[in-house]
Amino acid sequence: MSETWHRRLTFRRMGNICRLGLGVLWLMGCSGNQSTLDPAGREAERIAILFWCMVVGAAVIWLSVIGLALYCVRAPAESFSRRRASVLIIGGGAVVPAIVLAVLLVFGLAMLPGLVTPAPEGSLKIAVSGELWWWRVRYLTTSGEPIELANELHLPVGEPVEFQLESDNVIHSFWIPSLAGKMDMIPGRVTRLALTPTRIGVFRGVCAEYCGTAHALMKFDVVVEEKPKFDDWLAHQSQLAKPATEPVAKQGQDLFLATGCHACHTVRGTTASGIVGPDLTHVGSRRSLAAGTLPNEPDEFRRWIALTEEVKPGSHMPKFDMLPAEQRDALAVYLKGLK
Amino acid sequence: MNAGGEELAAAAAKRRDSEPLAEAPTEEVRRAQEERLMRTWQTPGGWRYWSSANNSDVGLWYTAMAFFFFLFAGVLALLMRIQLAVPDNDFLSAELYNQVFTVHGSVMMFLFALPLFEAIAVLLLPQMLGARDLPFPRLSAFGFWCFLLGGVFLCGSIFFDAAPHGGWFMYPPLTSRYQPDIGADIWLLGFSFIEVAAIAAAVEMIVGTLKCRPPGMRINLIPLYAWYVLVAAAMILFAFPPLIVGSMLLEIERAFGWQFFDPEGGGDPLLWQHLFWLFGHPEVYIVFLPSVALIAMIVPTFARTPVVGYSWVVLSAVGTGFLSFGLWVHHMFTTGLPGISLGLFSAASQAVAIPTGVQIFCLIATLAAGRVTRSVPMLFALGSLMIFVLGGLTGVMVAMVPFDFQAHDTFFVVAHLHYVMVGGVIFPMLAGFYYFFPLCNGRQLSARLGKIAFWLTFIGFNVTFFPMHLTGLRGMPRRVFTYPANAGFDALNFVSTVGAFIMATGVAVIVWDVFRPKGKQGYSPRNPWGAGTLEWLQEMPGKPWGIRSVPEIDSRYPLWDQPNLLRDVDEGRFYLPDAQEELRETLVTSVIDAVPQQCLRLPGSSFIPMLAALTTGGFFIFGTYHLWWLALASLVLAIGVIWYWLWTGTAIIPETEEKDVGLGLKLPIYVSGVAAIGWWAMFITMLADLTAFVSLVFGYFFFWTIHDDFPPDPSPGPGVFWPTVAAAMLLGAWVLTMLARHWNRRDRPVAFYFGLAIAAALEVAGSGALIAGPWVTGLDPTTDVYPATVWLLVLWTVCHVAVGLIMQLYCVARRMAGRMTARHNADIINTTLYWHFTALTVAMTVAVIAGFPLVD
Amino acid sequence: MSQTSEKHQSLWLLTASPLLWAMHFLLSYITASVWCAKFVGPGGSLTGVRVAIAVYTTLALVGIGIVGRCGYRRHSHGSAALPHDADTPEDRHRFLGFATLLLSTLSAVAVLYAAFVVLFFRMCD
Repeated sequence: MSETWHRRLTFRRMGNICRLGLGVLWLMGCSGNQSTLDPAGREAERIAILFWCMVVGAAVIWLSVIGLALYCVRAPAESFSRRRASVLIIGGGAVVPAIVLAVLLVFGLAMLPGLVTPAPEGSLKIAVSGELWWWRVRYLTTSGEPIELANELHLPVGEPVEFQLESDNVIHSFWIPSLAGKMDMIPGRVTRLALTPTRIGVFRGVCAEYCGTAHALMKFDVVVEEKPKFDDWLAHQSQLAKPATEPVAKQGQDLFLATGCHACHTVRGTTASGIVGPDLTHVGSRRSLAAGTLPNEPDEFRRWIALTEEVKPGSHMPKFDMLPAEQRDALAVYLKGLK
Repeated sequence: MNAGGEELAAAAAKRRDSEPLAEAPTEEVRRAQEERLMRTWQTPGGWRYWSSANNSDVGLWYTAMAFFFFLFAGVLALLMRIQLAVPDNDFLSAELYNQVFTVHGSVMMFLFALPLFEAIAVLLLPQMLGARDLPFPRLSAFGFWCFLLGGVFLCGSIFFDAAPHGGWFMYPPLTSRYQPDIGADIWLLGFSFIEVAAIAAAVEMIVGTLKCRPPGMRINLIPLYAWYVLVAAAMILFAFPPLIVGSMLLEIERAFGWQFFDPEGGGDPLLWQHLFWLFGHPEVYIVFLPSVALIAMIVPTFARTPVVGYSWVVLSAVGTGFLSFGLWVHHMFTTGLPGISLGLFSAASQAVAIPTGVQIFCLIATLAAGRVTRSVPMLFALGSLMIFVLGGLTGVMVAMVPFDFQAHDTFFVVAHLHYVMVGGVIFPMLAGFYYFFPLCNGRQLSARLGKIAFWLTFIGFNVTFFPMHLTGLRGMPRRVFTYPANAGFDALNFVSTVGAFIMATGVAVIVWDVFRPKGKQGYSPRNPWGAGTLEWLQEMPGKPWGIRSVPEIDSRYPLWDQPNLLRDVDEGRFYLPDAQEELRETLVTSVIDAVPQQCLRLPGSSFIPMLAALTTGGFFIFGTYHLWWLALASLVLAIGVIWYWLWTGTAIIPETEEKDVGLGLKLPIYVSGVAAIGWWAMFITMLADLTAFVSLVFGYFFFWTIHDDFPPDPSPGPGVFWPTVAAAMLLGAWVLTMLARHWNRRDRPVAFYFGLAIAAALEVAGSGALIAGPWVTGLDPTTDVYPATVWLLVLWTVCHVAVGLIMQLYCVARRMAGRMTARHNADIINTTLYWHFTALTVAMTVAVIAGFPLVD
Repeated sequence: MSQTSEKHQSLWLLTASPLLWAMHFLLSYITASVWCAKFVGPGGSLTGVRVAIAVYTTLALVGIGIVGRCGYRRHSHGSAALPHDADTPEDRHRFLGFATLLLSTLSAVAVLYAAFVVLFFRMCD
C-alpha cells in the first residue's frame, strides 16, 4: 500500500471511530443546532476530533492518577520504599507528562495554521459588525454595492466563506458553534474568520464576549443551503422592498416614515435610510426578530415595537407604546410583509 | 562598614551548631521569664484590641474577613444559579445579574482567594519558622485594614445599585466609554487597596521566609509551605504591577479622557487585555501555590512519614512560578493575534502542566511510602486532589488553541476554572481549617460534622460543575443572564442549580462547625495530629508570644527527629527565652544556613496602621467621587501618619549595641545595609515599582507596534532639550544622595545637609524641566494616545522624584534630631536605594520619550 | 570544604535557568509580534522569525546546559546520594545543586516546546 493511502485509511478509521462515538453521544444528547459536538462545518469537525481524543486521554489519565492515589492511601504500611516512591515521581510525574504533552502540543500546533489561514481568493466574503446588541451583515459582492441585512446569514454548503469582523463600540465575539471556532470583534481592528459549512441545516450563532446589558440576547440565525438556493436568496436580498399594496400594510408603511422609524432603519426602495439600527428591507422573511430573541410573527412585531425595553433590557431602540394599538398593528403587518 | 556589619562577620565566624542548655533554668527564673514575656506580648483588651499588631490577632481577623467575603460571593453565586435554573427566568433583571456575576468573580479573586493566602501566611508562617512574629507586624496590620476598607466598599456598592457590571476582567471599551456610572470606578478603587495589601504581604513573606528562620534551619530544611509562600510572594511583585498600571490607565481614561484604550484616539482595547492577563494568569497560581502548600504540610503528617521528593516539590513551586508568567495570552486566543504567537503561549501553557503535576505525584508518593491515617483533613485533601486533577486536565485541553476556539467564553471554561479553583484553593482551605484550627484558639472542629460537610460539598460541587463542561460545548456562552428554552441547556442548568444548593448546605455545615460555641468541649491536646513541624510546638490554647524559646533546628521535621525538643523549648533552654527589656524580639538569620545575625526588636500594638489605612484609603475614596480637595487633604494626612509611623517605629537606636540572646550568643540589635530587613523591604517594594514602570514603557512600545506613526513623524514633542536637562539635574540629585550617604558615614554633617539641600533644589528644577518637555511643545493628552503616554511617563517620574524628596527631608530631620548618626544610618541607606531605582526610572523615561523618536 | 561555605552560595542560581527560559520566550514573542505587525503584515512570510527563534533556542539551551551542569556538579559533590535532607553544609550544597539541575531540565523542556512553533508556522496569519 502506498504511504498516503495507508495514512488516509488510518485517518478514515479514526474518523469513523470518532463518528461512531459522536453518534452514540448524539443519541445521548450532544446534538443540537448550537452544539460544538454536532459539527456541521469543516473547522468544527476537526476541532471535535481533537476534543474526543483529548477527552479519552483525560479520562484515562484521571482514572489512573486517582486510582493510584487511592491505592496508595489504602496500601499496607510502607509497601513502597522511599526509593520506589521516588521512581514513581520521576516516571509518572515528570517523564510521562512531558512526552504526552509534547505529542499533544504537536497535534494542536499542526492543526492551527489550517484554522487561521484566510479562505482562498475568490471565496464569498461577508462583513459582520457587532452592534449593541445586534449584528450588521453585509455581503461583499465583487460587483456593485454590498448587500446589507441584519441578524441572519445564509451560506452555500461546501464552499469556504471569509468573514471580516469588526465593531465600532465594544468588544463582541462572533460564534457559530456548529460550524467553527469564534473570533472576537474588537474596536479599532478588523479580524477574520474563515469557515466551510459541510451540512445543510439551520444553526444558531451567538455573541461570545460580554458586551453589556443585553449580551445574552444577541444571537443570529445561520441557514446553510444548496448553492442554487443560496444564489436565489442572495439575489432576492439585493432587491428593493416591494411597496405595500394592502390598505393596512400601506397605513403601516406611511406610519413607518411618519413616526420616526426611518431615522434609524433602512428599507431600500423607500425614503427610510437610517443606519443606526438594523436594515429592515426583507425583515419579514427572517427566521427571528431582535437578534434571535423573538420568533418572526406579527404578534411579536407588536410586542417588540410596544415593549422594547422589557423584551431587551438596555436596548437603544425607544419603545413606541405611545402609539395607539391600531397603529402598532398596521406597522406590524407592514413589517411582516417586507419579505 | 555599616552598622552591625562587623558583628555579623564575628557571629558568622564563631558559628557552630549549638546544643540547648544542659540544665533548665530554675522554676523561679522560668516563671519570671514567662511573666515578662506575657507582659511584652499581651494582646491589649477592650477597644484597644483592634490596635494589635501580633500576627495571631491580625492573621485571625484576616482569615475571618476572607472567609466572610467567600460566603458573600457564594451567596451571589446562589442567586446566579437560581436565575439560571430555568430558561427565560426573571428572578434577577439583566442589569442586576450583570452586577452579581461581576461582583462574584471580583470578590472571589480579590477579596477571598488572595487575602486568604496572605491571611494564613500571617497566621502560620512565623509559627512554622519558630519566629515570634513577622518581620514587619504593623505592615501586615496596615495591609489588613486596607483590605477591609476596600472590601467593604466593593461589596457595599451592590446594595446601592452602584456595583461594577463589566465582568471581573473589566474589558474596555465597555468599561471605559459605555458604563459611565460609578461601578467601574468602585472596582478600580476597591482593588487599589487590595493591590497595596498584596505588595505589603509580599514583603513580609519574602523577608520572613528568607531572613527570619530559627538558627540551623538551612535552606534545604525549610518547610515546604515556606518555599511555596516565597514563590507566591515573589510572583506578586511581578504580577500585580501590570494590573496597577492598567487600572491607573483605565481610571485616567474614565476621569480625564486620556485615550489609552479608545481606538478613536489611537488607543487599543487589547493593551488592557495584555496588562490584565499579565496579572490575571499568574494570579491564579499565586492563590493556588500556597493552598497546595497546606496539603503539602498535611499529607506527611497523616502519612506519618517525611515528604518524598522534597527537591522535586521545590522544582514544582519555582518552576510553576516562572512558567506561569508565559501563559497570559491564552486568555486572548480568539483576539486575532498571529498563529505563531498563539502557538508560543500554547507551548508554555502545556509546559506548566509538568511542574504542576510533579508535586501531585510527590504527594502520592508520600502516601505510598507511609502509613495513612484517616481524618477529616485527609478527606478534604483527597477530595482536592480528585477535583484539581480533573481541572488540570481540562486546562491542558483549553491550552490547545483549536479547542479553545470553541471552548473560550463558554461554560466549559467556567467548569474548568471552578475545578481548579475549588480543587486547588477551597478544598485545601477546608483541609487547612480542620487541620490548623487548634492553632487558632486551642479547640478542635468536629470530625463528624467535617465528614458530613465533606460529602455534601464534594458531591454538590461535582453535580454543579461537571455538567457545565457539556453545557459549554453545547454552545452556551458565559456571562448570560438567561438562555432560551429548548436550546439544549435546560436540564443541564437545572442540575447545576440543584448541585449548588447541595454544596451550599455543606458550606453551611462548616460555618456552623466553625462558629458553634465550643466552651464545653475542652481544649485540644498539644500537637493533636502528631505532626513533625514547628508550628505544633504551640500550647493549647496558644500563648501570645508564639514560641517559648527559639530552637536550634537539625531536621525538616524537628518534632519527630529532635529528642526532647518540646521540653527544651518549653523550659527556655534555647534562644530568646526572656524579654528582659520587655520589648518584643525575634531572631534574624542568614538566608542559606540560617546563621543568627540580629536580634530584631519588633513594634507592639498601635492604631497607626489603621489610621494610615484610613487616610490612604481616603485619598482613593474621595478621588473616586471626584472630591479632589478632600482627596488631597487625605493624601497629606496619610503622608503625615506614615512619617510619624516611620519616625517612632523604625531604625530606633537601641540602648545597647549587642544583646545576649541565649546560649552565650551576642547579636547586634541595629543593622543597616544589605543585611538589614529594612533594606530588603525597600528593595522588594522597588522591584514591584520597577515592574510597574516597565509595564508603562511596554504600553509605549505596544502602541509603537500597532501604529504606523507612533511617535508621529515629525515628533510633536517633548523634544530633546528639556528631557535631557531634566535627566542631568535628576541624575545629579541621585549622585548627591549617594555622596550624602557617604558624608553621613564619615560623620560630616555640614556636607550631608548641604548635599541634600542642593539635591532637593535639583529635584524641583529637574521635575519642572521634565514637565516642560511636553508642556512647552503643547502635547495635549486628551487628544491622542501619544501625548497621553508621554505625559504619563513624565508624571510617573515626577511623582517618584517627589517621594524621593520627602525621603531626603526625612533623613535630614532624623539626623538633626539625633535619630540617625554616622553609624546608625539605615534611613539614608534605604533612601539611597530608593534613589537608585528612581535614577533608573529617570534614565529610562528620558531615553524613551526623547531618545526613541530620534532612532525610530 | 570552603566551596560549600555559605559565602559562596546563592539562591539566585536556582533562578538562572528559568530566567533564560523567560528571556527566550519573551524574545521569541516580541520578535514574532513586531515582525508581523511592523515589517511584513498579515499573510507575510515568517522565515526571518523562524531563523531568529532557532538562534534564540540554541543560545538558551547552551546557557541552560551550563547552569544545569553547574547544578549537577554541586549535586554530586562529595559522597552522599539523594535525598539531601541532612543538616550539613554539604547536603545543603547538594540540595541547591539538585534543585538547580531539575529546574534546568524543566526550563530546557519548556524552551523546546516553544521552539516547536518554528516547525508549523510559515505565515503571519
